[in-house]
Amino acid sequence: MNKQSNAWDQISTFLYPVAFGALFVVLWQTGLLHRLLGADTFTLPLPGRIFTIIEENTPAIMGNVRATLTVALGGLALGSLIGYLLGVLAALFSKWGKGGLTLASAFNAIPIIAIAPILNNLTKDFSTDANIRSMFAKILVVTVTSMVAMSVNAYRGLTELKPFSLDLMRSCAASGRQIFFKLRVPNSVPFIFTALRVSVPGCIISALVSEYFAEYIVGVGRQIRENIVLAQYATAWAYIVVACAMGIALYAALLISERILLKGRG
Amino acid sequence: MRNGNVNWNGNRNRLMAVVALVLSLMVALAAVPAMAAGYAPDATAETIVKDAASQGKVGNWGLGNEYEVQALLSKYGQPATYLSQAFDMDGFDDDSILLASAMTYNELGLVKNSYQGGYGYGDAVKYIDMNDEGVAMLEDNIFTTAAFAAANPNTVKAFVAASVKGWAYACQNPAEAAEIVYQYGSSVSSEHQAYMAEEVKKLVETDTQGNPVTAYGKIDDAAMQQTLDLAKTYIKLTDSVAAEKLASLTLDDIRDSSYFDAATAEGAVPGAPEKTDVTIQLKWLPQAQFMGYYVALSKGYYSDAGLNVTIVPGGGDISETTAVYTGQVDFGVTWVSNLIAANAGGMGLTEVAQIFQRSGLVLVYKVSE
Repeated sequence: MNKQSNAWDQISTFLYPVAFGALFVVLWQTGLLHRLLGADTFTLPLPGRIFTIIEENTPAIMGNVRATLTVALGGLALGSLIGYLLGVLAALFSKWGKGGLTLASAFNAIPIIAIAPILNNLTKDFSTDANIRSMFAKILVVTVTSMVAMSVNAYRGLTELKPFSLDLMRSCAASGRQIFFKLRVPNSVPFIFTALRVSVPGCIISALVSEYFAEYIVGVGRQIRENIVLAQYATAWAYIVVACAMGIALYAALLISERILLKGRG
Repeated sequence: MRNGNVNWNGNRNRLMAVVALVLSLMVALAAVPAMAAGYAPDATAETIVKDAASQGKVGNWGLGNEYEVQALLSKYGQPATYLSQAFDMDGFDDDSILLASAMTYNELGLVKNSYQGGYGYGDAVKYIDMNDEGVAMLEDNIFTTAAFAAANPNTVKAFVAASVKGWAYACQNPAEAAEIVYQYGSSVSSEHQAYMAEEVKKLVETDTQGNPVTAYGKIDDAAMQQTLDLAKTYIKLTDSVAAEKLASLTLDDIRDSSYFDAATAEGAVPGAPEKTDVTIQLKWLPQAQFMGYYVALSKGYYSDAGLNVTIVPGGGDISETTAVYTGQVDFGVTWVSNLIAANAGGMGLTEVAQIFQRSGLVLVYKVSE
């Protein structure tokens, strides 16, 4: 009985949002949503039209998706790596570490639209190929935005140890290096996922916005902007749907890998 | 002690050598872009376009401003790609863009002049004019929806007549017009506003062939047709429905001269406007680019015509076509190519007057000494 209700719990947490989403699409396609919002089918096209556009332009859309994903994942990897190293530094030099990280959190408050043009100018000598230097500038934007969450969480993971675990290691005469690699690093793994849960959706958003200001014209975000300014709302919505799908896919991939990697941990 | 001195001297010599090396490297590095930048004063447009395009250093803002540049690139057999140019001219200044888009009345003035915000290049820059190259597309117009025009013909006629009167006064008195615009709130210095007024006057009073315009604001069908033809070639729409619509558009789908003709006809008696409170959405921030409307407002031409007009400034990613389509505003100023793209997407917009009679877009480049 208990097992059964558990299974239902699991299915229902998945089923309810999907059912709500389906209802939403039905309301949208039948035009009821437009009547509710007072919108017209020009600025809010029907889902059928949007999906037709996606279907008809798959190769072009995939080209833009690839560009955006390169930026998002490249920046996420670089930012997370630097963020983790910052966390390690803060944990090693704990005197100023915590205060330093608080200061680093201020980075999080910088709007993407402010740093994107600056990074564009700073990276102009990176390559003679506009596509490459522009890609680098965009990756740096995502790096900055995904660095902070990782550094703060890595610091917590490296320092918030289980009670007495440090005493136990010391009583076994463990060296500082052993304590670090055998206790602190494994302890920080769940915290890495906490950081990624924040920065994975964030990296897509940062990548989309950084494309607005990039020198080289490519990417899902840039297409959204171009098409809205040109009043091509159906196409803009197609790219918005694609952007949502990218975010959901990445987040799902994160949850699945988290479940696999943290299996057996409490 | 003596040993120390010798060592120190030896170190200092080595240090000096390193410093000299670094300095000479810096000089060499600084000299490389300086030698690469700039085209001979007598270089042809073809040479310049081909060279800049081969280096991938042709710039434009995109977002519907790029079609003339693409047409020019295609004319000289180059791929129609360009770098996304920011709204300042820093990319041109630092040579990451060799052939940069500029409006004669705005960016070109900032590049040449040395007033606040200017780059002070003076005669060290020259430009390629889209009109001379035969790829001109018409820019600032007055438009509304076909439905609004049909429902409020007298309002449209009155608005067009008063606006054109404002433009005529502004072009005859550009310095005063610039001052009026500056009073209404300006994003740039008064010197730049004065420069802009002089340049805008040229666009309003000269057509794409370089001939004087016969009537302010008159719709020139030949230039409109060229704009439409280029638009059909270079506007690339992802949406197949919109792309088909674009291919089928004719002049009658994008402009209606009857309001202008009726409003400016000899001895025309204006009827009472159906709607008296009207708004006009500008394409950009308040500046002399729109001086005719500010003059008409300031001199009372609109109120004389029985209209209470509000001017709504634009800026950034404002979509003036959407603002007019959704009825947030009654009239708008846009580029004809943007109106064409919007109508391809399904908006029933129609141009009622064409204020700029020639293209104000140029591609500016540095001249080598």
